Amino acid sequence: MRLRLSVELLGFVALTAIVAELPRFVGDYRARELAIVGMYFIALLGLSILTGYSGQISLGHGAFMAIGGYTTAILTVNGFYGHPVRDLWTIPIAGVVAGIAGLLVGVPALRLSGLYLALITFGIAVSFPQLPKKFDHFLGGTTGKILNLAKPPYGLDTTTNDWIYYLTWGIALVLLLCAWLLVRGKTGRALKAIRDSEVAAASSGISLARYKTLAFGISAFYAGIAGSLYAIANAYVNPDVFPIILSVYLVVGLAVGGLDSLPGLIAGAALIYFLQNHADTVAKWLNHLPALSLDPKQPGISSVVFGAVLIVVMLLVPTGVGGLLRRVLHPLTTRLYTRS
Amino acid sequence: MGTRILLLCALGATVAATSAGARPVATPGVSATEIHLGSSVPLSGEAAIAGNVARGADAYFKYVNDKGGVFGRKITFTYLDDGYDPGRAVNNTIRLIQQEQVFAVFSSLGTNNNLAVRKLLNDAKVPQLFVSSGATTFGRDFRKYPWTIGYIPPYAEEGAIYGRYVVKNLKRAKIAVLYQDDDYGRDLLAGLRRGLGAKVKSIVAKVGYDPTSADVQPQVTQLKASKANVLMIFAFGKFSLQAFNAVSRLGWKPQIFVNDVSSASALMAIVPQKAANGSISIVFGKDPASPQWATDKGVKLFQSILKKYGDGINSRDLKDGYFTTGMASAYTMVDTLRKAGKNLSRQGVMNAATHLTERGNPFVLPGIVIHTTPSSRFPLTQVRLQRWSGNAWRPFGKLISLKPL
Repeated sequence: MRLRLSVELLGFVALTAIVAELPRFVGDYRARELAIVGMYFIALLGLSILTGYSGQISLGHGAFMAIGGYTTAILTVNGFYGHPVRDLWTIPIAGVVAGIAGLLVGVPALRLSGLYLALITFGIAVSFPQLPKKFDHFLGGTTGKILNLAKPPYGLDTTTNDWIYYLTWGIALVLLLCAWLLVRGKTGRALKAIRDSEVAAASSGISLARYKTLAFGISAFYAGIAGSLYAIANAYVNPDVFPIILSVYLVVGLAVGGLDSLPGLIAGAALIYFLQNHADTVAKWLNHLPALSLDPKQPGISSVVFGAVLIVVMLLVPTGVGGLLRRVLHPLTTRLYTRS
Repeated sequence: MGTRILLLCALGATVAATSAGARPVATPGVSATEIHLGSSVPLSGEAAIAGNVARGADAYFKYVNDKGGVFGRKITFTYLDDGYDPGRAVNNTIRLIQQEQVFAVFSSLGTNNNLAVRKLLNDAKVPQLFVSSGATTFGRDFRKYPWTIGYIPPYAEEGAIYGRYVVKNLKRAKIAVLYQDDDYGRDLLAGLRRGLGAKVKSIVAKVGYDPTSADVQPQVTQLKASKANVLMIFAFGKFSLQAFNAVSRLGWKPQIFVNDVSSASALMAIVPQKAANGSISIVFGKDPASPQWATDKGVKLFQSILKKYGDGINSRDLKDGYFTTGMASAYTMVDTLRKAGKNLSRQGVMNAATHLTERGNPFVLPGIVIHTTPSSRFPLTQVRLQRWSGNAWRPFGKLISLKPL
């Protein structure tokens, strides 16, 4: 077991090294794209704790991202009692505000499970975009709120994109570590027990109410952080920045990454970003296949490609990238562990 | 778990290896042989038809390139789809500046979309040229946003024209207003109120609709209940279509005014004609669907360019006014680039764009002079009124000069 721990830590160190070095090898704009992948990754980490570990399905995590994003926008544009807050400090606040919202949603979630819970959370995702329209003086309506483009602080000599990249991935790595500590400890065992059987978990003395609400709160906190970073990177929020479909994409990313595989979620995050923004490139690649000719400029092609890739991925790796890696590496790692 | 991470490392390295690095240049987007312009427009979604503005401009640039370009430089025009979503417009614009390294952003479409990127373009000192939105702020707030200039007639002035027309010609008007509830619709409404002046009380009902809503029939029903005899449709795309349909279905017969952006012939031709007939709007471009311009040189030129250089053009596109508007602004853009001279800089092109006196743009109405000064950034300020009858728009009256601000 100690060997396993050190292998995991080694992996984490390697990931940190890659994250630190990557911007040197890619263009400036690519760094921005990778930063957005990092934001999706953070949201997926939270969703994984909720869905992968505690077994509660949420189709409304886009709304928690929106809460985080709007918190940042309001604090930096309107300010707190008239004093604009630095974008950096709004990130933890956005996480906490979204986390509180998550705890509140977690309360009714106690009484509902499965499909019914999914519907409730979907309802939140559908109704949230109406709020900024209703309170448009405060929240900016459909015109939205325009933030200042982020600048590296304290005279750091990097581009905006590199700064956002390091900020996002720095936070992402810390949150990955937190999530990892959480799920491998007592809380993680309790959540998994609840997922596998609520009755069995309750009869072993696990407080369902406490852990289910907690899972919602933590996962909404993660989504809030992601939303806040997204608002900073885009320098703009309006209801369309966090559309209903975003919640669905997050579930897609979770399934592709693997429900309870934390690092596998990076692949899920990358997939939902690149299929949304580079489906035309995928269409061009697909044209190399025989008997296929797609026009990458055709409207609607991105949705078709998105759907097709998703079907293929789910057919080939139904357990997600995490599950695939586990299956491939299983013989190797078991040998490694038995030797210890 | 750890080994999994190692594999991810390998994946990360592959991604890194395949990505190309960007390198900075003196003036981004300009070389000895190329000028790179970018734009963000809706090519999908419900406002997709308006994206034809960019396709029209693209065809015109290719035509200019074939004739030698501007001082030997060919214009490359990259237009990205934003689905009329301001969030995606921000993303596209950042991509245009940072990855595509465009020289300037030209003719991006939509009021909210342009508002969302105005600050970041000005902060980066990238020209935001000939915005495809008539929101007054793009021409008016140049002190705060010196890198921005509008193009089409300001919406507030358009509203004022309808107001003055009502005061002069429709003595017993009771006006109902359907407007898009954002800066775009509210600009038109404010202009209408100003144009009505003392007669502002003749507005008996006004109902806004949310630009993301599904249908405006409920709003039209509400407006009909006010017993108004004049209806202002300050809408966009599918909403104006729905408004005409609703008016016809409800058996209402008001005098309709429909704002320029939602009065395309292609749209007017498919709504119920008993509602559409007699509608009034303004016009500044030559409408290729109008029989009046069937033998016009400008429209002929437009059609030949579009046939030769347009991407995936069908016969319907040759009569689509969005394409002519795009060509009109591309014509002004090329004029501006010529005026900016051989040593092209971003400051230089802004200077040229704010000192324009362009006569004889073949794609706008005869007599219109496109004129700007550093403190008057509304290039198009002359329009005519037009009336829809017999399946076509027919201009009437003289050129009207707007006085923005």
